[in-house]
Formats: sequence, C-alpha cells, structure tokens
Amino acid sequence: MKNFLQGINEGLRQAMEADDKVILLGEDIGKNGGVFRVTDGLQKQFGDQRVFDTPLAELGIAGAAVGMALTGLRPVAEIQFSGFSPPILDQVICHFGRMRNRTGGRNTLPLVVRLPQGGLIHAPEHHSEAPEAYFCHTPGIKVVMPSTPEDAKGLMIAAIEDPDPVIYFEPKRLYRLIKGEIPEEKYSTPLGKCRIAREGTDCTVITWGAMVHTSLKAAAELEKEGVSIEIIDLRTLTPLDIDGVLASVKKTGRAVVAHEAPNTGSWAAEVSSLIHERAFDVLKAPVQRVGSWDIRQPLFKTEHFYIPDAHRVVRGVNKTLSRDKAAA
Amino acid sequence: MALTTVAEHKTEYLEILSADGTFDASLAPDLSKEKLLEMYTVMTQIRVFDERAIKLQRQGRLGTYPQILGQEVTQCIPALCLEPKDWILPTYRGQGSYFARGMQMRYSLMYWGGDDRGVNYPKDNNDLMFSIPVGAHMTQAMGLAWGEKLKGTKNVAVCWIGDGASSKGDFHEAMTFAGVHKLGLIMFIENNGWAISLSREQQCASETLAQKGHGYGAHSIQVDGNDALAVHKAVSEAVARGRNGEGPTVIEAMTYRMSNHTTADDASRYRSNEEVEEWKKKDPLDRFRKHLLKTEVLDDDAVEKIQKEAEEYVAGEVKAYEAFDKPNPLNMFSNNSEKAPWHVIEQRAELEEILKEKQSRNEIPELPAAEGRFP
Repeated sequence: MKNFLQGINEGLRQAMEADDKVILLGEDIGKNGGVFRVTDGLQKQFGDQRVFDTPLAELGIAGAAVGMALTGLRPVAEIQFSGFSPPILDQVICHFGRMRNRTGGRNTLPLVVRLPQGGLIHAPEHHSEAPEAYFCHTPGIKVVMPSTPEDAKGLMIAAIEDPDPVIYFEPKRLYRLIKGEIPEEKYSTPLGKCRIAREGTDCTVITWGAMVHTSLKAAAELEKEGVSIEIIDLRTLTPLDIDGVLASVKKTGRAVVAHEAPNTGSWAAEVSSLIHERAFDVLKAPVQRVGSWDIRQPLFKTEHFYIPDAHRVVRGVNKTLSRDKAAA
Repeated sequence: MALTTVAEHKTEYLEILSADGTFDASLAPDLSKEKLLEMYTVMTQIRVFDERAIKLQRQGRLGTYPQILGQEVTQCIPALCLEPKDWILPTYRGQGSYFARGMQMRYSLMYWGGDDRGVNYPKDNNDLMFSIPVGAHMTQAMGLAWGEKLKGTKNVAVCWIGDGASSKGDFHEAMTFAGVHKLGLIMFIENNGWAISLSREQQCASETLAQKGHGYGAHSIQVDGNDALAVHKAVSEAVARGRNGEGPTVIEAMTYRMSNHTTADDASRYRSNEEVEEWKKKDPLDRFRKHLLKTEVLDDDAVEKIQKEAEEYVAGEVKAYEAFDKPNPLNMFSNNSEKAPWHVIEQRAELEEILKEKQSRNEIPELPAAEGRFP
C-alpha cells in the first residue's frame, strides 16, 4: 500500500526515467523535496540540472515552462500552493491555451503545472484554495485532479506525455491520508475519462479530488436511510467525460455536483448546466450543487463549516429526492 | 563614436554597533534615553512572544506559525521610526512590526490560531494586513505612497519584504512607479538569508539586493539588520527623504532567519548548523543590550526588570487570547461586502440551519453570538 503523495512521486520518477526531456522546476522542490515532500528524492536521483529550485517568482516559473516546452523539453512546474497561482494566470490564460493555435499548430506546449489544492489541513490563509474553475474556464488546456494513489500516478504520467498543457491539481489533504495499491510498472490513466467510485441507483454525485472521499462518507450515511448513491470521480475536469457523466445520470435520474470551491461560476455550475442541457428528459429533480459559500475562505478554525462535509452532501442528495416526492 | 561610462552606482553598507556592543559614535543616530529604552523593550517583548508562540504551537494551541527569532530589529525598529499615519505593510513573519505600533499580541495569536478576528491593529493606525502570497503588497505600498502624495500629506509607506520577494515582478513594478513619481515608499528588504530552502545566493546573482534600487532611481543602502542603531538611522533618513518628496529608498537589512521557515518546515534538510551558529553570535537583542549596558542607558537590574515585565505582558496576552469565545462559524459571512447579495444571504441562512441541526445532535456546543456586520 502506498499513499497518494507516493503515487505522484512515482509518476514523476517513472516519467523522468523514461524520457530525459522531462524536467522539474519550482520553489523548494529540489534539495527540500517540496514543502509536502512530493518531489522527495528526485533531485538526488536526477541531479540539479533536471530538478531545479527556482527563485521565488511564480509567473517566472510559468513563463519558463512555456519557453522550455517550446525548445522540446517537457517541463513539470510546481506552484507551491494553488493559493499562490493567481500570478501565473497571465501565462495560463494568454499563452498556455493559445500557443498552438496562434502559431498555426507549429508550436505546442507539452508542459504540466502541479498545484496542491484544497483545504482542511489546518493551514494558514491562502494555503487552502480550490481555484480549479479559473483554469477550466480557459480554452486550450486540460485540467486533471486525481483522488486515489493509483490515479495520482497514472494521471501524472498521462499529463506529462500529453502534447498540450495540463494543469494537475493535487488535493493536498489526501497526500498522506489516502492509501491504496499502485501498480509497479509505468502506466498512464487516460485523460478525459471519469471513474465510477461507487455504484448506486437513486442519485449520482459527480465530484473530484478530496470531495470524492467526503462523498463516499455521505454515501455510507445515506445507505443507512436506504438511499443508494452513485459516485462519479471526474478525474479530468476538462475535457469533461460527458458520456460517463450522462450514463450515470440516465441511470439514477438525479444528480448532485459536490466540490470544494464556491458555487458561483464554478466547475460544478458547468457540469450542472451540461446535465440540464443534455439529460433534461431523464431528470426527476433539478441538479443540485454542493460547494463552499460565496465568501472569502475563513481561517482554519471555522474552515470545516465552509468546505462541504458529508452532511452537506447528504443534504444536497436529499434535496433531489424530496423534489421527486413533492412531484409525486 | 565612443564607449563611455554613462552611469555608475555605489552601494554602501552601514553598521554602527559591533557584536561586542561597542559603537561608532560619529555614525550613531541621536536618540533619547526613552527612545532607546522603548526600542529595547519592544525587542524584548517580541523575543518573549516568539518563544511563547512556538510553545503554544507545539501544544496544539496555535496553528502553523512563522518564527521571528533573530529578526527583532528588522521588524520593530523601522516601525518605531514612523508616525501612526505612516503606512506599514509587514510580511507575514512581521508580527513584531504591529506590536511596535501598539497592536495587542492576543490578536496575532488569534490569527495564527486560525481565527479571523485576529490581527486587529489600533484604529487610528495606518497599519495594513500583511499579504500571505509573497510580495503582492509591494505595489499596494507604492499605491499608498502615491495616494498620500496626491492628498498632499507627508505620510510615507514602509513595505517589508524578504529576499525571496525581491525576485518577484511586483518588486520591479512597485519600484518603477515609485521612482517615476518620487513617492515616499521605503522598500525594506529583510534579507534573512533564506526563502524557505533557497539560499540568498540561489535567489539572485546580484551582489547585493540593495543595488537593485539604483535601477529605479531610488536611494539604496545595505545595513546590518541586527544592528538597531544602523536600522534606525537608515530608515529615519529614508522617511525624511520620503516626506521631502525626494523619492523612494531601498534598504537591504542583512539579518538571518534563526529558526525554520515556519513550524511546518525543517531547515536542517537544507542548511548547515554551523551557519546558524555563526549568526547566533550576531544576535540583535544581545548586541543592543551590551550597548545599552556599556553606555549606561541600562543596568543589570533594569535589564532584568524589562525581561520580567515582558514575560508578564506576554503571559497576559496569551491568557487574553485563550479567554476569547470560540468563533461563531457565522462570523465568516460578516464584513464581506457593503451589502450581502441574495445568494450569500441564502447561504448564511443554510449554515445557520446546519449549525442548529448539529447542535440538536450535540455535535457542536452552544455558540456565542455572531460578530461583524451582516448583511
């Protein structure tokens, strides 16, 4: 059994072993092995000309990754916390997703940006954000977020091997919390494919990252009340596995989208909208979003009342069920 | 055609107090006995606070905490060179800057204890909340200095940054504007040698960080950051220039982060113990004490009294911190906007309902009244 963090580390290691064009850059990732130790041992194994400790400048890191990718390298950049990612949006929005098109397909950006994401680790301010929607909104890039050690490794390898820019979110509270079997060999988990994390019949909960595990807890609570939910772990947020999502919703007739970000303008809003557009006929109730509140994220003493817990997922599911009862 | 030198710059280094407490009287600022005592007292309080905060963190009574140890001078001395209406923008490590301006330590503990009611500075002060994302406050400080200039005041803005933040584009942008508009901005670089695990040498190839200021037309100087007199002199001169409309100053204060980056860090992974031991000899508090004893501003009894009073003061602040009611989770909805929009009003009502449910199942205790302004 290995933990989630080891899954990412192993993915990076095997991708670097397979292709010497893969290089890592970021703050404190080399000698220190990253503040979470995700890159532990990699500078030792591959040297300081493949694993770089950069100066403290996030936008510089992102721009460097663009330049390096254009020279044929496959840079994997770490931004220490996704709360510090706003400066890189200049490169992400204006260049990551546009380079291929602007150069008539001549120049591509096979780069990855790793972003530790999410809250509930008792961290200081700006260390707990869930900013995935800012990235999903940007055309031309892919956004992934694993929830298991096996996918952490497989999606990392797939992200590195992908010819276009990939934002790889790491739900940091899973780093040491979630353990599982990880195949020894190098493998990639396909981008754009969701996973059924739990089968059920009454309602589909579409979720990603750490909220997959919160939703699994909600499923256990609901089961006691005789309600069976199916959990879809998106794994890739964009491009979304629309077929996988709709297949489940068609089966259950109800859907809840559960995530850590505030609901307004969120990726959950997009998923909800797509379900309404494409599966309206099968819906027994409107799709519900379970997200954080539309306010500044509080410090850790009350953070667990901000980020949805299992109870709030249960409430979301119950809303879809009571609508159905009212209609009946 | 000719190849000529069109600009030359020199960067000076100022040290007044030597490690044994002797000093260069010709360079020393003219400070009253009361001012010297104030400086020493605040430094002592910060040292005691820091020791206590680390203990609280280890006992689980505080969250992740960035230790101050070794940076007492660079945090509090600039603040003690200012008027309340001057702006201060410390770093996240800079709790000592707020303390020097009268903020009660209990509020610092609250913030690092994960409570949004923390960092509550005196209401007549122009203190500003620090930025946790490194360096985002530099352009804000420039804007503050610009705003004060446009209003016709003589107020300046002091922006503390680390050696790491000097690598961010924000530094360039802040200094560019400040130079062009001759703003009363003091960019005070606390060069403590390390940006988490990155050494100063890996951070920037420039011989000094101070000399970066020349590129923007700023007065630039490097000072011994563990020398209370040198820092006082450099900052006071920069403040005077700022008030006179002579433009910005970059001060690089050479100090050292004696402890880990935060309580979540382990510096032994990336730096040598010998380096830390070398810097111990330059301790800012020891040095200033020796100086005050030598010049008979203090005697041993007075030193002991200041230490004892600092301990009592900090103990009182810790007690006050722990006496606060636990925060009502509904507080998070307060003070977010002039008028809360409909969805936020709905969401607060939903949380209120959830809290009642949890109380009815005895999952959470009775809560104090919600604080702050809503809707």
